[in-house]
Amino acid sequence: MSVLVEQVTCSRHGQVILRNVSLEMKTGEVMGLLGPNGAGKTTLIRLMAGLARPDAGHIRVFGEDAARRSVKFRRLIGLVPQENTFESELTIEQSMLCTAKLYGIVDARTRVEEVCRQFQIGSWRKKYPEKLSGGMKRRAMIARAMLPSPDVLLLDEPSVGLDPDMRQDIWQAVRNLKAAGKTVLLTTHYMEEAEELCDRIAFLRAGQVLYTGTTTGIRQQISPEQEISLEDAFLALALEGRRIG
Amino acid sequence: MMAGVQAVFYREMLMLIRRIGGLGYLFSGLLFPMIYLLAFGWGLGDSVAVAGGYIAYLAKGMLAVTVMMNAFQQTALSVSAARFYYRTFAVLRLSPIHDGAIVLGIALAGTVRALLAAAVVFVAAKLFFGIAIVTGPGLLGLVLTAFAFAAFGVAVGLSIKGQEQFSIVINFFITPMTFFCGSFFPITNLPSVVQQIVRFLPLSLTNQLLQATSLVGEAGIAAFALVFFMMVIYLYSTYRVHNYSEF
Repeated sequence: MSVLVEQVTCSRHGQVILRNVSLEMKTGEVMGLLGPNGAGKTTLIRLMAGLARPDAGHIRVFGEDAARRSVKFRRLIGLVPQENTFESELTIEQSMLCTAKLYGIVDARTRVEEVCRQFQIGSWRKKYPEKLSGGMKRRAMIARAMLPSPDVLLLDEPSVGLDPDMRQDIWQAVRNLKAAGKTVLLTTHYMEEAEELCDRIAFLRAGQVLYTGTTTGIRQQISPEQEISLEDAFLALALEGRRIG
Repeated sequence: MMAGVQAVFYREMLMLIRRIGGLGYLFSGLLFPMIYLLAFGWGLGDSVAVAGGYIAYLAKGMLAVTVMMNAFQQTALSVSAARFYYRTFAVLRLSPIHDGAIVLGIALAGTVRALLAAAVVFVAAKLFFGIAIVTGPGLLGLVLTAFAFAAFGVAVGLSIKGQEQFSIVINFFITPMTFFCGSFFPITNLPSVVQQIVRFLPLSLTNQLLQATSLVGEAGIAAFALVFFMMVIYLYSTYRVHNYSEF
């Protein structure tokens, strides 16, 4: 088991955001975290990355407690947040070089070259982030997260707001990560994306996990008699909020 | 730990080089001390009786103020913007470097930035008034002050919940120190009760070192106190980084 989320509860300003959330991820698995806005997906991702601490429960990545943020833990995990986190004063290449140095990569320049080739980041790596499209930035952010080659990658809505071409690029990048044996957790609002990329999904609503399993499984459990789309299953869960599976 | 410090410092320096290209960046931080130096220097000139001459005294005081303001303000603004707007502070928190290395790297970059600003004030004081103003103890005082206030800027940048809280820190800590810690006039001019409070504040120690020619006696104690203050602030800032929660 590469990621273990055990009975995690998290609140902020007196409001419970996550309530007894438990999840397991196998090594090399791509899991989709689905749920309506405000379900707690981004909070869970931040807790898993060690950027915040839960009120109760534990998150372990290969046995390392996320709340403790050990050096080993930080080398295991990579995060691509929703928002652009490239420094506006640095070019993409400079930013990647800085990240490589922060991770103590000995030949930082060579590693940056290698990752840029792998993620097809061309000459635009010399540009400042403000000059790039959303898709380019997103792809570069995934590439930057992969510089230290983490075993677990957390992607918070990796393809939101992208045109179909760019979305395909991001999907291919995720497939490549899976092929390389990486464990990937991604949040998404696109059912098509979940079906295309994820081995399993977890459905979160109002801070609780209502379902964990395959996309086929969720459809069958919501509607055993009649074949329905994942979107219909999503809507049924989002509106009713009943726990299944 | 040192590799982490170097990495953070390198990143901060790259950003500084880019920012410094914009004229406004450097000169906005210099405007305040330069206006005071020129206005008080030309306006009051030799009419204020201070040993060594008022303009020389004021020029040293403005160096201290420049270092304090630039180190604190630019660092605190940069860290808070990295939290609220650019979300880039998370990049440092995710990386496998010691929390103390993050503070040390950012504070060293803030020190460089503050000393660059002080160098411009120094050149202006030379040009306009023809005075040499930095002694060895003074330089030590400026470096320690720059580091301490840059580290304080990290702690404040991580603590404030919005930009409006930043002005509270400026109004309650930085502005009183600017005017009461011996930058514009000797603290001996203040009522004795106020003197007892003010003399232990870091900017008073800086001004004391700027006026000293050697580290013997009280100047040595001032240097020691400034080092102590710097260490406390550094440890506090490291604690703030360690307990920082990204929500």
